[in-house]
Amino acid sequence: MRTILQQIIRGLLLILGVTFVSFLLMVWFGPDQTYTLIGKNATADQIAEVHHQLGYDRPFSQRYLDYLGELFTLDLGTSNSSGEQVSSILKRTLPVSLALMLPGFIIGNLLGVVLGMIAAFRKGTWSDRLITGLSVSGMSISFLIIIIALQVLLSTPYGLNLFPVRGWHVEDLSSYLAYVTVPTLSLIMVTLGYNTRFYRAVFVAESSREHILTARAFGASPATLMWRHVLKNSLVPVTTRILFSIPLVVISGSLLIETYFGIPGIGKVSFDAITSGDQPILKAVVGLTAVSFVLVQIVADFIYRLVDPRIA
Amino acid sequence: MKTLRAPTLLTVNPSYAFEPGPARGRAWSKLRQDKAGLLGLAIVTVFLLLSLSVLFGWLGQDWSVAEGGRWEPASVNHWLGTNMLGQDIFQRAVFSTRTAFEIGLLVSLLSTLLGALLGALAGWYHGKPGRSWVDGSILWLMGVLDSIPFYLFVAAVAYALQGWPWAMHLAMIATFWTTTGRLIRAEVMRIKSREFVLSARAIGLPVPLILFRHVLPNTSHILLVQATIAFVAAIKTEVILSFLGLGVRDSVSWGLMLAESTQEVLAGHFHNFLAASLMLFLLLLGFNLLADALQDAFDPRQASL
Repeated sequence: MRTILQQIIRGLLLILGVTFVSFLLMVWFGPDQTYTLIGKNATADQIAEVHHQLGYDRPFSQRYLDYLGELFTLDLGTSNSSGEQVSSILKRTLPVSLALMLPGFIIGNLLGVVLGMIAAFRKGTWSDRLITGLSVSGMSISFLIIIIALQVLLSTPYGLNLFPVRGWHVEDLSSYLAYVTVPTLSLIMVTLGYNTRFYRAVFVAESSREHILTARAFGASPATLMWRHVLKNSLVPVTTRILFSIPLVVISGSLLIETYFGIPGIGKVSFDAITSGDQPILKAVVGLTAVSFVLVQIVADFIYRLVDPRIA
Repeated sequence: MKTLRAPTLLTVNPSYAFEPGPARGRAWSKLRQDKAGLLGLAIVTVFLLLSLSVLFGWLGQDWSVAEGGRWEPASVNHWLGTNMLGQDIFQRAVFSTRTAFEIGLLVSLLSTLLGALLGALAGWYHGKPGRSWVDGSILWLMGVLDSIPFYLFVAAVAYALQGWPWAMHLAMIATFWTTTGRLIRAEVMRIKSREFVLSARAIGLPVPLILFRHVLPNTSHILLVQATIAFVAAIKTEVILSFLGLGVRDSVSWGLMLAESTQEVLAGHFHNFLAASLMLFLLLLGFNLLADALQDAFDPRQASL
C-alpha cells in the first residue's frame, strides 16, 4: 500500500515537472504574443487589454496554475492562425496520426521480437551474425534517408510508382492502404534495427538463466523453451521498451512523417505551429503528450506489480 | 635520515585506486582483435581527418559558392555535380563533415560530462540519511526530461529561444545526459561500497576529491561507450531537426543537403541525396561499430551478449 502511495506521489511530481518545463519554455520564455494578435499599430489601451486577455499582467505562479487548469479541463483556447478551438483541432487530427503510425509501430515491434528471438536462439551462427549485422546497418541509416529512398523507389516514376507521392485522401480501405503503406514501411525500417538488437539482448540474457538450462536438461523442445519460458519471462522488459518508445517513435515519428508526406495529423499541426509560432497549439501538444506519457508510465507500473510479484 | 612515513591505506595497496588496471589492458587487446571495431575506428578516423582538413581550410571551402549551373552532372570541375542553386555537391558534402563533428563532439562531450556529474552525485547520495533528496531530485529531473517527447522538447526550446543558433545543441545536451546519468548512478551505487572508496572516506578525503579521483575514473568505460552513442544520436538528430527547420543555420550539413534533396529527387536529380546519404551512413556505421566494439571490450556485462 505504501509503495502504491509513493508511486502516485512520484507520478504527481513528474506531472508537475513536465507541465512546469513546458510552461517555462512555451509561456514564460515564449515570445510576446501581443503584436501577432492585434498588429503593429495598436493603442496603449488595446495593448493593455490584450495583455490582460493573455494574462501577461498576472504573476508567475498564477499563470502556471492557469496553464495547469487549461490542461486538465482541456479548455485550451483557440489557434492563433485559424481561430479554431485547439481541442477540436486535436480531436480531428489525433485519429489520423493513430491510423498512420500504429501499423508501423506494431509491425516494427513484432518483427523485432521475431528476429531478436531467431538471433538469440541461434546465437553465434551465421543467421545471428546476419541479423545483428543488418541491425547495425539499419541503425546507421537516418530516418530522413529511409523516407526519401522509399518514396523515390515506391511512389515515383523513377521507381515502381505504385503509391501516391504524398497526401492523405482516405475514404475507404484501399485508399487507406495506398496512403499508409510507404510511411508504414519507413517506420518499420527505421525502428527494426534498434528493436531487433534490444530484443535479442533481452532474450539472450533470459535464455542463459538457470531455469532455462534445467528445462533444456529435462528435454523441453526449443519452441516450448522460447515461448513458454523465455518470452513469458521477458514480458516486462519488452513491454517497458514498447511503452518507452512511444514518445520517441510515435510522436516524434509522426512529426517527421506527417511533415514530409503532408498528412494532416498531430505531427503536421505541431510542425505548422512551430513554424508560425502558434503558441496555444504548441503548449497544448507539449503539455498533453508529456502528461499522458507520465500517466502511461504510472499505469504500466501498476500492471507490472499485479503481473509480476518480483517487482512488488 | 629519512623520516618514516606511515603508509596510508591508499599506499598500502595502490591497486585499490586503479582497480581495473589489468582488466583495461585486456580490454585494449580485445579491442585490437575486433575486426568490425577496427573497421569502425578506421572509418571514424578518415572522417575525422576529413573534418580537420576542412577546419584547416584545405578542403570544402567553396561550399556556398554558386557558380555552376543548376543540376550539372558530375564533371572535372564539380566532382559530384551541382545542386538546385548551382553549388558544388562534393564541396558541400565534405564541408558537412566538419559540421557533423562540431555538433557530435560538442553534444556528446557536454552531455556525457553532465550525465557523469549528476549521475555520480545521485548515486553517491542515494540512501544517505538526510542527503537522499539530492538523489531524489536528480532522478525526478531525469524522469521529467525523459517524459517530454524529444522533438517537441527541441521545438519548445527553439520556440522559446527564437532563432538562437545553439538552441538545437542545448536541447540535445539537456536531454541526452539522462541515459548516461542513470548508468553512472547505478555504477556509483555499486562502487561506493568498495574497499578503496571506504578507505578514502576513512582517511577523511573530501567528497568531491573521492568522486573525481576515485569513483568517476572507475566509470570511464561507461562514459566512453556513452559518448560514442551520444555522438551517433546527435548527428542523427541534427538531420531531422535541420529538415524541420530547427537545426543548422548559416552553414551546411548533411541534414540540410537531404532537406534540399527532398525537392530534387522528385525531379529526378539524385546526386545531392546520394552524396549526403552515403557520407552520413558511413560515419554512423563507423561510430556504431566502434561503440559496439568498445562496449564488448570495456563493459562486457552491459554488452549485448
